[in-house]
Amino acid sequence: MNVTRFLIAVSSLLLGLGLIAPTLTIYPQAGDLTWIIKIIAPEELAVSTYSILGVIQKLFQTGDIFLAVVLAIFSVFSPVIKLSFYWHATGLKDSKKFNSILQRIHYVGKFSMAEVFALALIIVVIKSFPGGSTAELEWGAYIFTFSVICSMLVSFRLDSKKR
Amino acid sequence: MTDISDFDAPKPPAWFGAAIPLLIVLLGAGFYWFITTDKDNGESENTSNSKIKLSGRLSPGQTYYIFASEVEVYPTNLKNESWDQGKKGPDIRYRLFWKGNAVFESITKDDSLIADWSGLSIELNWKDLLGKSVSSDDAIKAGRIRFEEGEKIEIAVEDVDIASDDDVGRHEIEMDKLSIGKNEFKLKKTASSAIRKITLRVLPVGSNIEDLANIMK
Repeated sequence: MNVTRFLIAVSSLLLGLGLIAPTLTIYPQAGDLTWIIKIIAPEELAVSTYSILGVIQKLFQTGDIFLAVVLAIFSVFSPVIKLSFYWHATGLKDSKKFNSILQRIHYVGKFSMAEVFALALIIVVIKSFPGGSTAELEWGAYIFTFSVICSMLVSFRLDSKKR
Repeated sequence: MTDISDFDAPKPPAWFGAAIPLLIVLLGAGFYWFITTDKDNGESENTSNSKIKLSGRLSPGQTYYIFASEVEVYPTNLKNESWDQGKKGPDIRYRLFWKGNAVFESITKDDSLIADWSGLSIELNWKDLLGKSVSSDDAIKAGRIRFEEGEKIEIAVEDVDIASDDDVGRHEIEMDKLSIGKNEFKLKKTASSAIRKITLRVLPVGSNIEDLANIMK
């Protein structure tokens, strides 16, 4: 197996782990009222950890279908399609087909960093919540980032082979 | 013997390989799911191994929360007079004794012949606690008593007055006769006791709040 395909395989494996592993932990607080909420409704202050797929599922359950679909496209389908195109491109010998596939990859690739942006947005929003609620990244987020980095390395290698 | 050589054998379409990354993604996700599910099962096995008995008679060596959920007193006191000179009902409080020590004292319930306590630190219904992550030790207001065979506990009921507290009566209970959940004792009036009924609740220490709430239903 060549290096490019190895990198695609690693990126795919990390993507699979990154989608299901814990990504974000939210520590809710209610400011000065935290102590009373802890007595009356402690479940409101329960610490929640989500994976990317968990966030999508939660959005579906809460009726935010639009956001759920957008996040699913950006963070699940787009990276998988991109990696599939990469794998396909590495097996092509016809330079015309190879260049056409690369073009498609660049098109799909425009969507694939959006999930990192979405994650960053969630953290910024929660960090600016009143009451001292905080959010922390879990190891799944780093796995996901490594998957994106591997995918970028594949992109550089394929670009350098552009005929 | 076939005439088809490797060269002639049908080749999979070029896009077939494109499914490989998808399979690896599913493999990665499946692997994580498998190891975490296995861990969860292990944890639940541990929980079930140390499962605490939630019904029936008490188990020796196990510690229990014990409190009176209701105490009813006769309409007259030990001197056969109306409580608080007939102005108001008695202000009832009870204390729980174990091995000669008061291990729990209830709050006072004013002006009533039938006093009740939820056993909770704040006056909520037990069902309100279902699904909540509050610790049982924080939530329950009761005596913590370890059951040993032949052991006895005593409940002393008082009418709380500003000047001096009056005895309503005392009742000794053999712990062997107690069971988890509700225990009722109907008593006759005597020269030393004006207690009519005691309802004791026994809950195992160490069970989660959901189990306790279910026992209290």
